[in-house]
Amino acid sequence: MNNYPASEKAFLGLNHAQVFVYVLMTVISILFLFITNAYLFRMNFQDWSPVPIPSLLWFNTVCLALASVGMAWSKSGAKAADHQKTKVGLAIAGVFVIVFVSGQTWAWQELNASGYFLSSNPANTFFYLITALHAFHVIGGLVAWFIVTLRVFKGDATMLQPESVGLLGAYWHYMLLVWGVLFAMLITT
Amino acid sequence: MDQNSATYEGQKMYDPKGWWDTYVFSQDHKVIALQYVCVALAIGLTGMFLSLLMRMQLGFPGLFESIDAGSYYQDVTMHGMIMVIYLLTALFLGGFGNYLIPLMLGCRDMAFPFVNMLSFWMYFLSVIILVASFFVESGPTGAGWTLYPPQSILEGTPGGDGAGIILMLASLAVFIIAFTMGGLNYITTVLQSRAKGMTLMRMPLIIWCIFLATFLGLLAFPALLVGAIMLIFDRVLETSFFMPEIFKGGEVLDYGGGSPVLFQHLFWFFGHPEVYIIALPAFGIISELISVHARKNIFGYNMMVWALIAIAGIAFIVWAHHMYVAGMNPYLGFFFATTTLIIAVPTAIKVYNWVLTLWNANIKMTVPMLYCLAFLVTFLNGGLTGLFLGNVAVDVPLSDTYFVVGHFHMVMAVSPVLALYGGLYHWYPSVTGRMLNDTLGKIHFWITFIGTYLIYFPMHYIGFLGVPRRYYSNEQYDFIPQSVADLNQFITVCALIVGAAQFILLYNFVVSLYKGAIAPKNPWGACTLEWQTLESPPGHGNWGEQLPVVYRWPYEYGLPGATSDFVPQNVPDEQIT
Repeated sequence: MNNYPASEKAFLGLNHAQVFVYVLMTVISILFLFITNAYLFRMNFQDWSPVPIPSLLWFNTVCLALASVGMAWSKSGAKAADHQKTKVGLAIAGVFVIVFVSGQTWAWQELNASGYFLSSNPANTFFYLITALHAFHVIGGLVAWFIVTLRVFKGDATMLQPESVGLLGAYWHYMLLVWGVLFAMLITT
Repeated sequence: MDQNSATYEGQKMYDPKGWWDTYVFSQDHKVIALQYVCVALAIGLTGMFLSLLMRMQLGFPGLFESIDAGSYYQDVTMHGMIMVIYLLTALFLGGFGNYLIPLMLGCRDMAFPFVNMLSFWMYFLSVIILVASFFVESGPTGAGWTLYPPQSILEGTPGGDGAGIILMLASLAVFIIAFTMGGLNYITTVLQSRAKGMTLMRMPLIIWCIFLATFLGLLAFPALLVGAIMLIFDRVLETSFFMPEIFKGGEVLDYGGGSPVLFQHLFWFFGHPEVYIIALPAFGIISELISVHARKNIFGYNMMVWALIAIAGIAFIVWAHHMYVAGMNPYLGFFFATTTLIIAVPTAIKVYNWVLTLWNANIKMTVPMLYCLAFLVTFLNGGLTGLFLGNVAVDVPLSDTYFVVGHFHMVMAVSPVLALYGGLYHWYPSVTGRMLNDTLGKIHFWITFIGTYLIYFPMHYIGFLGVPRRYYSNEQYDFIPQSVADLNQFITVCALIVGAAQFILLYNFVVSLYKGAIAPKNPWGACTLEWQTLESPPGHGNWGEQLPVVYRWPYEYGLPGATSDFVPQNVPDEQIT
């Protein structure tokens, strides 16, 4: 029993880092699932008063999308062994994500200045909490971006591989996807 | 093996440079496992001490003036949280998981040793934050381990005036980050780093259990994290996620409109899988021990794996059985009662398979086997009372009585601890190279086993009498008869004896480390890889120059024609005879 031939392949052909990041993304998805569940549950109560979504968020969304494009550009550079393209893609991605995070904090200040304080209504609280949690995870990606970019500019061969840049890119695309869902929820409810 | 070897078969290894790297900020999974075990046992002893304080108040009310109602609730809260999260979760997954996964799978270390080290230190930090709450003004939170709002964040609650609740929530958040780091490592290692020939269906059952418990944790802890963050907001920023309109002393507080039940859902969506996060590794330990010490292959390996997967899946759709009295749609209650009863099916499959493993086996009455047998009956007893409480109609009158206390202590406190002790006795020789003293082990076992029954069986009866579980004092109530006070005295005396008996284990641990008999390399005759290392205890890198190759499943006992009654996983067919 159970003495059938052994498998020598790694799980689904993935490397260690890929499994780590994909499972991490699953965990983060669960986190956002709970927060959106709580949002949808709480919004049915009488005291709920929706927040006017700052138009700046549309601009921020475009920036996050451009950051994703930068990462895709970088990966295609890595695939073609075009180091210059890889570096340019990484730089574009970094700049746009920094603009995104700055834009989010700007939007908070705008709301706060308009009298939509964090604790004055549950809708406000959820808005700040959800956008902050997302920004926190984007900043986590930014830390990874900083490490990868530093090593790429130093000429680290491992980091110039499409798998490494691609994995970082996957996380950024994922952050864009999460933001897309959250933003859609915020503007439609 | 050369301690400073940096690469094996092209794989770069963590290379400790000195004492700090080797023993403190080590990235070696075995050292990290020991660090987890030591910290978890230390905080677990604190939790046990708190339970003895509670028992003193219940058995001999007013004997200690320092135990007032407030401190009693603080002790209850901290005891529960410490035991469930900081002792059992950490010890099973951080301790046993770290030690056994790489050794049993035939790899050199975890997939990400540095993240593994960070995981331990984050856990250590979470314990420090938790313990710090004992030293802040007004002490730790006394809201009960479930931390239900609104009372958990209001100032009238014991410990509510100070930073106790903030520290508790912060500690939980840090713990969850630590767990996530460790958990991602376990998942990656199990999926990626298995030795050649170690297919998923050749993994020892304990690795399956740890793997699935880790998945449960990774998917369940975010619910607690979200709840904790929102609760901190409600407390610090006076938001109203969970806080309804509240009057205090005739004045309206700033809160309003929130839902305490929302927190209950978030808490129990984590809380019920947490039961299995603790139970599954215990199941795994029992599966290993029962097979080795009965010298027989485990009955129904494939069925055991699928039962585990079923338990892990169903564990996510039973949470609201903790909330029957929170005001629930009867159809919803029916749904959760049904899923609760359904989860008993795969659980019963496991119990039957353990019993059938013992059937006609060559049972060795070693200390680990005694713990296995004790686990089987205790888990069965605790599980049966769970069937009572899973039914809405029976749960409502028994809710929040001592029957519940008796039930969950039997099923998720005593049972896992019995498995834990069995595991510690079983793997101690692998860790230290020495055997524990058998006589001391048996004395410790019998006092613990009989003692815990004397403590928790009477609680079921007290619960049937309707005694509420969280009362500080039972003296002023007409409906509570004198027999309850007598039983409480008896339970307290038993608890003190059982508590003292745990020092036999600690004494045995320490003394055997220096004076225990030298352990043979594979003292129990086990098939799994952790006993097949070149050195015993295994050195840095575990396997010397060559990684093991696996040829068979981990329970090859009594193979016809074999020269020995067991065949290790790394022995090829041609070497059996």
